[in-house]
Amino acid sequence: MEITEQIALTVLMGLFLVGIAAWLARVENWRTYSPVGGGATGGEAAYGSEEKPSGLIRWLTTVDHKDIGMLYGAFAIFAFVAGGLMVIVMRAELMDPGMTLISNTFYNSLLTSHGITMLFLFATPIIGAFANYFIPLLIGADDMAFPRINAIAFWLLPPGALLIWAGFLPIPEVIPAQTGWTMYTPLSAGVGSGNQANAGVDLMLLGLHLTGVSATMGAINFVATIFTERGENVSWANLDIFSWTMLTQSGLIIFAFPLLGSAIVMLLLDRNLGTAFFVNGGSPILWQHLFWFFGHPEVYIIVLPPMGLVSLILPRFSGRRLFGFKFVVYSTLAIGVLSFGVWAHHMFATGIDPRLRASFMAISLAIAIPSAVKTFNWITTMWNGRLRLTAPMLFSIGFVQNFIIGGVTGVFLASIPIDLLLHDTYYVVGHFHYIVMGAITFAGMAGLYYWFPLFTGRMYQRRLAKIHFWLWLVGSNVTFLAMVLLGYGGMPRRYATYLPQFATLHQIASLGAFVMLAGGLVWTYNFVVSWLEGPHVEDADPWNLKENGLRTNEWAWFEQKRETAITDGGEESETVTDGGEKVTDEE
Amino acid sequence: MSIEESHDDGGHQMPAVEDWPRGFGEASWWPFVTAVGAAGIYAGAGLYVVGQGDNAPVGPMAGPAAFVGSIGLLLAGLYGWVYHAFVSHFWEREEGGDHGNTLKWGMIAFLGSELATFGAGFGYYFWIRAGAWPPGELPELTGSLVLGNTVLLVLSSITLHWAHIQIRKNKRGKFISGLIATLLLGIIFVGGQVYEYYEFIVHSNFTLTSGLFGSAFFGLTGLHGLHVSLGAVFLGIVLVRTLAGQYSAERHVSVSTASMYWHFVDVVWIFLVVVLYVGAEVGGAG
Ligand code: HEM
Ligand SMILES: [Cu+2]
Repeated sequence: MEITEQIALTVLMGLFLVGIAAWLARVENWRTYSPVGGGATGGEAAYGSEEKPSGLIRWLTTVDHKDIGMLYGAFAIFAFVAGGLMVIVMRAELMDPGMTLISNTFYNSLLTSHGITMLFLFATPIIGAFANYFIPLLIGADDMAFPRINAIAFWLLPPGALLIWAGFLPIPEVIPAQTGWTMYTPLSAGVGSGNQANAGVDLMLLGLHLTGVSATMGAINFVATIFTERGENVSWANLDIFSWTMLTQSGLIIFAFPLLGSAIVMLLLDRNLGTAFFVNGGSPILWQHLFWFFGHPEVYIIVLPPMGLVSLILPRFSGRRLFGFKFVVYSTLAIGVLSFGVWAHHMFATGIDPRLRASFMAISLAIAIPSAVKTFNWITTMWNGRLRLTAPMLFSIGFVQNFIIGGVTGVFLASIPIDLLLHDTYYVVGHFHYIVMGAITFAGMAGLYYWFPLFTGRMYQRRLAKIHFWLWLVGSNVTFLAMVLLGYGGMPRRYATYLPQFATLHQIASLGAFVMLAGGLVWTYNFVVSWLEGPHVEDADPWNLKENGLRTNEWAWFEQKRETAITDGGEESETVTDGGEKVTDEE
Repeated sequence: MSIEESHDDGGHQMPAVEDWPRGFGEASWWPFVTAVGAAGIYAGAGLYVVGQGDNAPVGPMAGPAAFVGSIGLLLAGLYGWVYHAFVSHFWEREEGGDHGNTLKWGMIAFLGSELATFGAGFGYYFWIRAGAWPPGELPELTGSLVLGNTVLLVLSSITLHWAHIQIRKNKRGKFISGLIATLLLGIIFVGGQVYEYYEFIVHSNFTLTSGLFGSAFFGLTGLHGLHVSLGAVFLGIVLVRTLAGQYSAERHVSVSTASMYWHFVDVVWIFLVVVLYVGAEVGGAG
């Protein structure tokens, strides 16, 4: 019986996949007359010609940085929706103090998966999306330095995600990991009486390692690209701010991710082959050191490029250049260096040597300085500027607002006596969500709205975009401020149940989450509908950047592409087109 | 649009003209194949873990089978990728000095990431070394074998450097013999390591699971051994390409990058011998 069921299920799964493939292929055909995807808008019909194959195969084989950027973007947004839905279930469970909707173990599984999904499958890849698409355009390069490595790096992500989520799939005897995203030993080593010896944890660790390999390959590629592929008129002195932040971020990835990779392998060996790295006589606290030596740079890995995006976008709608450009670059580099020297501020409460602790406190407080430099630069850029409150601008301003709260709460945590009170409470959760959701995701949205005309050739609905912004701004502040207050009250993090005295604040936090869900729905609707049938942009400068002399290279590329309606992002000399290409599909 | 060589005139360089699928400037199956192979290795490891225990949903051999099969796929993908990206039409491809720079920066960045990979292992070792020492009975570490192996590896760096100088002078014969010597030395080194493992495991009963030092020793030397093997593969590719008539005094970027990697692995070994072999024996008051 069992066997036949299994076979039936397998066949069903196979048919399902074939169905999806067929559907995708159909979508591709349909795209040829209604341009909805890809790095190019006009003339996609001609892809049957000689640059790229058509249909699904184009996406599986592409080595074009713009296509790969689109793939990263699609993947990241899928992961964002998945991780977002996980947390909606969690926030629903937290509406009342008891265990009502889901079990404690399932809550812990969702908690673990939410964190890992958002950090490794959403934040890092969405940055990869912008960087792949725009860095070569911004610096005037033909493509990334290693187009094939670029493609390999992307294709490691989906299997990595599958492994990370494997515990949720209906595989017998395999349960999801419940270790939290920090995977602290000894719990994560599977020793003791818990259920974390389960293979689901191993699968998650393997998946995490794979995504780490992917990120490292990407970072190496960005370093090589920015160092050696800049166009003739792009020097270090006039390199744009986003490329600077990507360069720094890539450096951080190169030194941080492989370290986590090795630590993960050590943990896997401990779990499966009986080594003594973190358990069996090894040191559980060493895991925390290795993890945070990676983990603190990781938070800057995911925040620096969004800072770059905001530094790029905000001036365009302030009618002037970025104030103190040089200092923004210097502060980026300073943050990059300092971020390797602060990891133990996550371990103040572990009883490490007080002298060590004090020096980590000093550096952690110091890192607030370059962060503040940036903030003041953004504010002074807007000061007396001619602000245009478009959706990307609103999200950029929202970024600054949320980053201020996130940063200030961080400075308090960096102070040992305060941290000893607030460690492992909701205050910490509030602190970093102000940054990861309030700042990073807001910057991602700013980027998506800002370049929407460029990668779709169409305009989104402005009204809906503003509704989205306000729902998110209000929602995130309601949720995360409630979390900060919960932390002050002593509510510990990572619990599915709580004392009744915390009920009100938890309900407020959940309310904010639902408001953000509503905003997310508005955004999805807006993007899908506008992509399919939004009005075509009238000219290649939808934000009127030219009049202030603020246009950057990617818009110049866009203009050229529209003029020549060629499909590969080529340059001046490439005015040749295929016969039968529809040059005028825009107007 | 035409995708022929005419693109060199300042236009957009098509990276994958002759690749599979043929005739598309920006399409290649190899990255996808490579990635599926790499992912399959992880999936194989996962299946192996899932296949343990009595009620396992998959057999104990499913994992290893997937693992080995995926390695094959990975190698096929790597071959296609490296071949089309670097090897084919070597002489026709006009390779500006820029491209060499790109590869070198790629290698430097990669070596940076390798530093971090080793960093975690050394971090562990320093951590336990700073604690009560020795953590248990240590095997006989510093003997003639380590010494000999170290000499071999240092020698191999010298022969490789010499070979590198020869190709810059366009002396192909000497270049080839230098390469072969290096490769042989590397292979003997790996053989020596295997022999040492054999001695430790079979005769000294010192294994991966012999506690703190066992984890550090086999973890670090194992990681290093993998790197030497990978370096040997790089050099092997360089050798095959040389024998096929590639490289000249002006065109030998991959000789440079493979050498960088090899020298790096050599330096790591010396560090490793000093801290792990010698460092474990000195100063450890029983
Ligand atoms: C102004 C600079 C910042 C300072 C001084 C700071 C300080 C801290 C400190 C001391 C903690 C540890 C709290 C505890 O567990 O007791 C912490 C936690 C955290 N911070 Fe920050 N932070 C800063 C900026 C950021 C940024 C920019 C991000 C994200 C991009 C971030 C993400 C996080 C995360 C994810 C955690 C929680 C990790 C966990 O335990 O799960 N922080 N921060
Ligand atoms: Cu930190």
